[in-house]
Amino acid sequence: MDPILLRALLVVGLVAAVLIVGWLLKRRDGAVREVDQDARLHDDHLAAVGLDLTDAKAGAVLLGSPTCTPCDTVKDVLGQLEEEREGFRWVYADAGEHLRLAEEHRVMRVPTLFMVAPDGRILARTSGVPRHDELRRVLDDDQGAAA
Amino acid sequence: MTQNLVTDTDGRLIIDVRGPRFGAAITSTVLGVALIVQGPVGVGLVAWQWLAFAIATFAGLAWSPYGRLFRWVKRRFDLGPPPATEPEGPPRFAQLCGFIVASVALVLFAVGATTAGWIAVGVVLTLSLLLALTGICIGCELYLVGQRLASRRGGDA
Repeated sequence: MDPILLRALLVVGLVAAVLIVGWLLKRRDGAVREVDQDARLHDDHLAAVGLDLTDAKAGAVLLGSPTCTPCDTVKDVLGQLEEEREGFRWVYADAGEHLRLAEEHRVMRVPTLFMVAPDGRILARTSGVPRHDELRRVLDDDQGAAA
Repeated sequence: MTQNLVTDTDGRLIIDVRGPRFGAAITSTVLGVALIVQGPVGVGLVAWQWLAFAIATFAGLAWSPYGRLFRWVKRRFDLGPPPATEPEGPPRFAQLCGFIVASVALVLFAVGATTAGWIAVGVVLTLSLLLALTGICIGCELYLVGQRLASRRGGDA
């Protein structure tokens, strides 16, 4: 086969492979991941990021970085949740300033969001921009279980 | 040429998020054609791309040839305001990653390791295709990893 044609096919194959990998990565982006039942954010981590869950129904910790553009979108989603839900509190923290938390929970990228129960139990986590209704469902499920 | 450029309160350049993706589409085309034709023309195209990476990395994205082309296209075809903006740091770092791998490719060509050189070009092509086709910027994600390593080295844990 003509080497130019062969290389053109190689490039076409690369485009196809990139489209498939991109589609898989995008599908995971922002998806709510259920975590181990016992996984929790320890009190000293919560204190370090400044999230006080006394008398709260649920909370969230958003790990970001100063150059993280999608973090602003996640902040908007959390702001909306805070408005519509009484007793929901959230904080934003720079992942670079909370490396111990990031390492303990294997945070590989920002934005990473932890949804937590008042006792620090992790209800769910997401990487990327989560969907508003999925976060709402996480909170509903937890409050349904508690009731 | 600094007209229409926006900076944040710290004086850092703020860019239209469509810009890097537009640039990645051109980079992918240039490197894709280079990989197919190879020979002196192919190496010339890689050298041009290396220069474009170098300008964007060392002079800043405001000077990037593809960035300037994007601003012209935006005005000419009235693409409207940016859907979102971002600081230039991560995409500029991604240009640095491209610059490093393209440099490796050119050195490999120079010493006669042609096949290895084209593999390096293939790596840059893959990453720029990923950004152009899906909006995922691996170089930008690496920037965050780098920042984290840097702050760890600073003794902050």
